[in-house]
Amino acid sequence: MRVWAVVAGAVGAGVIIAAGTGVMLSYGSNPAPVLDAAVHGYEQTAAGRLPHAFLSLATYPDSLAGEHGKGGGPHPDWVSYGPTTNLEVPAHAVVTVTIRQYDTGGPIYNPFFAKVQGTLGGTAIVNGKTVTGINPNTVAHTFTVHMFPANQPGVFISVPLPGVSATAPNLANGYPKPNVVTFSFITGGPGRYIWQCEFPCGTGYQGFGGPMSTQGYMDGTLTVG
Amino acid sequence: MTQDVTAPPEPAASDPANRSAARQIAMIWVVMTVLLEIFAIFVPARLMGVAASKTMTDIKTTMTVFTITAAPVAALVWSIALYSLLRWRHRGSGPPPEDGPALRGHTPIQIAWLVVSSVLCLFLFIWGLVEMQAEASQSTAGALVVDVTGQQWTWTFTYPSGGGYTSPVLYLPDNRPVIFDVTSNDVVHSFWIVQMGVKVDANPGEITTASVTPDRLGTYLVRCAELCGLYHAYMVAPVRVVTPAAFTTWLHDHANSQS
Repeated sequence: MRVWAVVAGAVGAGVIIAAGTGVMLSYGSNPAPVLDAAVHGYEQTAAGRLPHAFLSLATYPDSLAGEHGKGGGPHPDWVSYGPTTNLEVPAHAVVTVTIRQYDTGGPIYNPFFAKVQGTLGGTAIVNGKTVTGINPNTVAHTFTVHMFPANQPGVFISVPLPGVSATAPNLANGYPKPNVVTFSFITGGPGRYIWQCEFPCGTGYQGFGGPMSTQGYMDGTLTVG
Repeated sequence: MTQDVTAPPEPAASDPANRSAARQIAMIWVVMTVLLEIFAIFVPARLMGVAASKTMTDIKTTMTVFTITAAPVAALVWSIALYSLLRWRHRGSGPPPEDGPALRGHTPIQIAWLVVSSVLCLFLFIWGLVEMQAEASQSTAGALVVDVTGQQWTWTFTYPSGGGYTSPVLYLPDNRPVIFDVTSNDVVHSFWIVQMGVKVDANPGEITTASVTPDRLGTYLVRCAELCGLYHAYMVAPVRVVTPAAFTTWLHDHANSQS
């Protein structure tokens, strides 16, 4: 009996300690900032007249201008998306995304991700020019929303972002003149998706470590709802 | 000073108490076996979902047969354990004796145990060989080839017969063999079409091959079955099995739009 009492007590204490630690950690951590798409007017589409929402993002060669603050957080030299990596857009709407891309580029492993996928018309506008893809040897990053078909509408969007020239002069903000990429897509019903960069811009093996494998840098969430 | 140690009396096999215990264990065994057999016949195959290929149908059959075969063995072990816990548990506040009655051999039981175990293992071994041979000998004549590429954390599917058209969705024709040439752009992934029973590693710099013949129209899932990093859990892609005519139209349209 005494043994069972000791075992039961130890298990109970373990459960209480684990639960308490979890509660303390959840209160102590800062919630990740969320960027809500701003709705301005309506857009006529083949699916009818839909609200038109806008998102403005940027990709930086470091972490000094995004959600990690001016100091860049624990990894100021990691490439990053900004102003945050957690995005929220309305359901059943046209969403137009504009990305200012400040980083240099290189060849992408999988040329599939040098093509524009899943956008309205299958195109994106790069510096004012409509394209269906870019040179696979000059990709800096991609904005790729994963198709995650578990109990929610299927979505797959992938837009390549061309790299800026290594010799481009810097602007007042310290970054070179960016490539501006704009594209639109239509959302379905509510869902929660993962998006990420599919260009190996991180550290470690094949460039898929570091900022590519850490939340808050080259990946994030897209909440439709 | 010497201590007089008296060994516990050895129970005889013909001891009425032992025979009673054996009868009760046998009864528990029979009941448990019946329950487990019912479970084996109805539950495991259902938990595995619908089968969208003969491969998966065979896997479900194998799982059911193996569970049915293993049920009496598991039931016997659990019956003895349950009976021991309930009836032979030490009671009282004092410590239990350091040793129990000596174990004695029983030749007929030992022979039966060895023979039955050997027959069961041999049966499972032969069943496995036959199934593997049947799987390996499936025809791949006229097969559709799909190049599968895994990378953190998504799949892409390229159709050489469609001019190299690449899709994030795996479209397959019904009732036509498909050969998957699988590779990875970064770390090791595992290409797993759950409802077709196909699973093969995707290794960087290498091409591994798997084949299957879908035989059921519908939408299924490709999952990554190798822990591969931050969003491994999200590394899924839809599989759409369509009629051969619909597949030909789909591939033709996309190959043309690409060119």
